[in-house]
Amino acid sequence: MSFDLAKLKKRPPYPFETIAVAVAFSPRLEGVVGEAWRLAKSFDAQLLLMHIGNRSREKENQLNEHLEKLKIDESKVRIIWNEGDTEDALLELCKLHVVDLLMLGALQKENMLQYYLGSLARNISRRAKCSVLLLTDPDPAGTRYKRIVVSGVENPKTLHTIDTAIYFAEHMKCKELTVAKEVHHPGLAMTMAGESTAPEASKIKKELKEEEMHKVHDLVEHCRKHGDIEICEKVIQGKPGYAIRSYAAAKKADLLVINSPDGKLGIFDRIFTHDIEYILEDLPCNILIVHSRT
Amino acid sequence: MAKLSHNDLIVFLLAISVMLITSRVIAELGKRWKLPVVMGELLVGIALGPTVLGQLAPEFFNWLFPFKESPGVSIALDGIFTLSVVMLLFVAGLEVQLPLVLRQGKIAISTGLAGMVIPFLIGFGVAWFFPHWFGVPGKGEGHYLFALFLGTALSISALPVIARILMDMNLFKTNIGMVIIASAMFNDLVGWLFFSLILSMSGYADGHMNLGYTIAWIIGFGLFMLTVGRIVLNRILPWVQNKLSWPGGVLAMCLGLCLLCAAFTESIGLHAILGAFIAGIAIGDSVHLREQAREIIHQFVTNFFAPLFFVSIGLKVNFVQNFDLLIVSVIMVAAFAGKVIGASLGAYFGGMSRRNSLAVGFGLNARGAMEIILGTLALNAGLIGPPIFVALVIMALVTSLTSGPMMRRFVEH
Repeated sequence: MSFDLAKLKKRPPYPFETIAVAVAFSPRLEGVVGEAWRLAKSFDAQLLLMHIGNRSREKENQLNEHLEKLKIDESKVRIIWNEGDTEDALLELCKLHVVDLLMLGALQKENMLQYYLGSLARNISRRAKCSVLLLTDPDPAGTRYKRIVVSGVENPKTLHTIDTAIYFAEHMKCKELTVAKEVHHPGLAMTMAGESTAPEASKIKKELKEEEMHKVHDLVEHCRKHGDIEICEKVIQGKPGYAIRSYAAAKKADLLVINSPDGKLGIFDRIFTHDIEYILEDLPCNILIVHSRT
Repeated sequence: MAKLSHNDLIVFLLAISVMLITSRVIAELGKRWKLPVVMGELLVGIALGPTVLGQLAPEFFNWLFPFKESPGVSIALDGIFTLSVVMLLFVAGLEVQLPLVLRQGKIAISTGLAGMVIPFLIGFGVAWFFPHWFGVPGKGEGHYLFALFLGTALSISALPVIARILMDMNLFKTNIGMVIIASAMFNDLVGWLFFSLILSMSGYADGHMNLGYTIAWIIGFGLFMLTVGRIVLNRILPWVQNKLSWPGGVLAMCLGLCLLCAAFTESIGLHAILGAFIAGIAIGDSVHLREQAREIIHQFVTNFFAPLFFVSIGLKVNFVQNFDLLIVSVIMVAAFAGKVIGASLGAYFGGMSRRNSLAVGFGLNARGAMEIILGTLALNAGLIGPPIFVALVIMALVTSLTSGPMMRRFVEH
């Protein structure tokens, strides 16, 4: 297989022109394909159904039954059968077909051993060179996205992520979008314990919070026009990754949008959990990981 | 059970109250000139100890701190000071966050590594090739252990002082600030693990331990606490914080676990500080530990145990008699050269500009309270003598005081 790498580089994270879905013939297949079909229609995107494994008459029939049941016009989707290591083959296919969004079904929480060893959906989320949508509870009729939470973490990629979230919200007719920035100050408690009076400590904390609020506000000011979507700005206290996961769960968000990881993640990142790993450890809702491809 | 006599109890309580009150008054005065609290505490110790009070009013000094005359008071005070150092290492561990080091990635690792390896080599080299400068015999295991100790002593940093300097300079939340914090955490972690190894090699407890056995225990205990211990803590902490009285429940659990781990490591021949430090890392790393609980633990330890510990240092050592200009100069030059060159090179090769790399080097050069704790433990274990200890204390203070101004000269805003 060969592909033109130049097509991928600098390609903006949206619009979603090609959406792919990993077909695993699990009990959730109908839900995942239904979700993908709805998104492909909303974004006017080409839909690729990709299965890694042997091709058999039985599998073809099962897939056709689902497409029929979901009233999907077969001429509008492309089914790709491939063999090899599932993870590597899926990632290769995504590059080859210049996929903008890869959709995968994922368990909300995996058993500890599976998590540390790395499951397919989680590993692809860590490695993919395109945006990934993890569906925790796929609905054949398609999820209604009412509340979206976006991570406003300090990173050059964040503006792309917020813009992609707004683009997603516009097409999904979602009216409520929150940009939440996590604040964590390691060493602060220790520093203030012996050397600050109570008013000084409160002042320092207040100033730090205000500074973060300004940063979130700046981000929202610079993001793309969002029409009638209401954007809330929020600063939340806690460790990056864990704080936003808890916030999304408490807010009963339908989608949490985050940046793709900055570097390669390995077993150490799972043992000494941080950032995206806190989210992958226990998915609070559907997760959209935006790869800005800059 | 042996008891303190009526008089002993009065003296014991008086001694503690004098240490607490005077150190707080002096520390508050020092804050007006932006001097670190630990400096005030050390000065009070020197004033109340053999250096000043012992010379001016020896009878009163011996009555207030009857280390020789009253074994009961002496043991009680020693118990408090030991508990203090265990607690100080516990709170130091609370702030070590390995995920932060991993998140900062290559630059934090290169800065942390170079900021440890180069000062270690310089410290080890100076002690190994010029032991006569320090009055250490140039052969035998004592020479080797001293060289290892000096290397370690020069390679650690002091997170509390560094964090305070960064906050005063408004750099706490910046990229350079986070690199310094993450590297200091890395230095603390490796430095204290290595120091525990040296202490057990010195046979301070019940004779010499097998090196392989010691290393296996340190790694095994650390890994157990940071994996299994962390998982158990993540299940227990939310329950403790929600179901038990607040903050009593969480305080009792955290401090109890700290002492339990300290007792365990002491019982297997490693120092109690290792258990406390690793318990601190495991608890501090938990996402379930509320920020308020963390603050309360810090307040309790920093304002009660820390002054007692740092004042006690001045009570034990005569700083004038044990001041040796050669030792002080050698340690000072080695400390500045090792840390500034090492950490700056690490930051530069990690991708920072030349000026910011130098700012990182001077930032990590602050040794503060951590160096003094390390020196005290080494003095108690017989690894070093009072003149080297005095030199380490002076180096810790000078590096802490010069760190901020030097960073200001180089940092690019």
